[in-house]
Amino acid sequence: MTPLLIGGLLPEHGLGGAQDLPISRGLAITGAAIAVAVSFVVLALAWRTPRYDAATSGRPAPVWLSALVDSVWWRGLLHLIGLLALAYLIVVAVFGKDLLINPIFGIFYVWIWVGVPIASALFGRVWRALSPFRLISTGIARLSGGHPDEGLITYPERLGIWPAALGLYGFVWMELVYPHNVDLSPVRLWLGVYLGLMIIGGALFGNTFYARADPFEVYSSLIARLSIWGRRDGQLVLRSPLANLDTTPATPGLVGVISVLFGSTAFDAFRDSTRWLTFIQGTGYSTYLQNNLGLLAFCLAVGLIFWLACISTGVGPEQPRRRLPDLFAFSVIPIVLGYILAHYLSYVVEIGTQTLILTSDPLSNGSNLFGTGTLTVPYWLSYHPTFLATVKVLCVVAGHVLGVIAAHERAIKLLPKKHQLTGQLPLLAAMIAFTVGGLYLLFST
Amino acid sequence: MRRLVALAVTLVSAFTLSACGSSSSSSGAGDDEPTKVIDITFDGNDVTPNGTDIDVKVGQRIELDVTADKPGEIHVHSSPEEQEFEYDAGSSTLQVTPIPAPGQVVVESHTLDKTLFTLVAR
Repeated sequence: MTPLLIGGLLPEHGLGGAQDLPISRGLAITGAAIAVAVSFVVLALAWRTPRYDAATSGRPAPVWLSALVDSVWWRGLLHLIGLLALAYLIVVAVFGKDLLINPIFGIFYVWIWVGVPIASALFGRVWRALSPFRLISTGIARLSGGHPDEGLITYPERLGIWPAALGLYGFVWMELVYPHNVDLSPVRLWLGVYLGLMIIGGALFGNTFYARADPFEVYSSLIARLSIWGRRDGQLVLRSPLANLDTTPATPGLVGVISVLFGSTAFDAFRDSTRWLTFIQGTGYSTYLQNNLGLLAFCLAVGLIFWLACISTGVGPEQPRRRLPDLFAFSVIPIVLGYILAHYLSYVVEIGTQTLILTSDPLSNGSNLFGTGTLTVPYWLSYHPTFLATVKVLCVVAGHVLGVIAAHERAIKLLPKKHQLTGQLPLLAAMIAFTVGGLYLLFST
Repeated sequence: MRRLVALAVTLVSAFTLSACGSSSSSSGAGDDEPTKVIDITFDGNDVTPNGTDIDVKVGQRIELDVTADKPGEIHVHSSPEEQEFEYDAGSSTLQVTPIPAPGQVVVESHTLDKTLFTLVAR
């Protein structure tokens, strides 16, 4: 009858022990009201002529900084760090014990999923810079005399970043639906398949494959559009996040990626709600099946709402309506980041630090390899739930405001004059639905 | 998840004891509260409660009164340490370590693969 204490990371329920308290009703309503009000203020008062132009926006970074980040040794150093990280991951995956104190779970579910996007919002395209695959493909190209961006076959343009959307779905399925997601062998299998696909894809299509089909690189590079770091004709420039965001290419599949990222985070909040739990546990069908359907439904619903909102506008002659969703999808990126921060902030601080502690003991034999084993987990956020809730709502509202402004800019750039105001309304309604829905999930779970 | 649990205990407690130390000062809030008694009844594949929210105070003592038709296991997904309980057929009383910080703690039946309830600690 004595409780058996196990790690701060857990089986059957993803990673992490206690979860945040729901935000208060007052805070949720205030956040939602501000979001709605700001949306219409933007619509009424914002600029009427396009402001951002990828060809001219941004000012060049200081010469020493450009020289540094573009130097061969700096790039090589970053890729080398990525290669060492990959080697470490392989060691803990292959030789580590199947215990919750194996750092692989925290690295996979917290550092990669939440840490990398936060780092990308601060420093730019982190995954691309660290990607060991790019080092391998560059090495192969150098040996064979080819160009590292082009492989044996040209990457089919029409595929766009759809493969990345699928890969991201594979990740969130593993995180949110698969019941044995904190057993070592399924995580090892997932990473093994990922590694295999990346190496084969890179050999076939070159670096273009990584920019389009590596789920983590696509995720990281999209969030990096909200950083101040951009490129103009290859030159490193500093831009405001809004101007930088506006340079996001409208690659086919962008709607898919956005839908998976936002839909899955919303489902993560929803799946623990009393309503969903009592429902799925009362139907008599397996919870696994119903969670599968739930995740899929959330991602499809987000995609469908967004897609409908984008095409419900008047267009000019010869303006293909079906291109609009991909052209507008970039404006959901800040909403995604705001919601991910709100949802995973305490998680990334607490389990992220826990993981840093565990990395010093890769083989679970009590060693303190990097000296991080003696750190302590900061539970400050958990002890200050009001502060945490306020920060969460601020993240959601800030993401919403940036998203609305980004969509407004795109609308006045793309749509014919007479449809500019009315054309924005459906998308604005969709964004308000996403934000208010997100706040509702933070409130009700 | 029973594998090498003992080893995990040793290592993780080394990591997390320091975190517990800081929480002891704030565990006073729920000390005066009467013990929260939660009745759990297992009958075949059914269980009550079945996915509800239960409010508790931070630091409040929590007792699970289990009535079961066959033995099983309950997981309490608390931080910094998870708690696992085994119970036998018949009636048993399980003492849950009070929840040290505000938050939501999911309590699951490992046997039925269902969430019994979520403790909402304020």
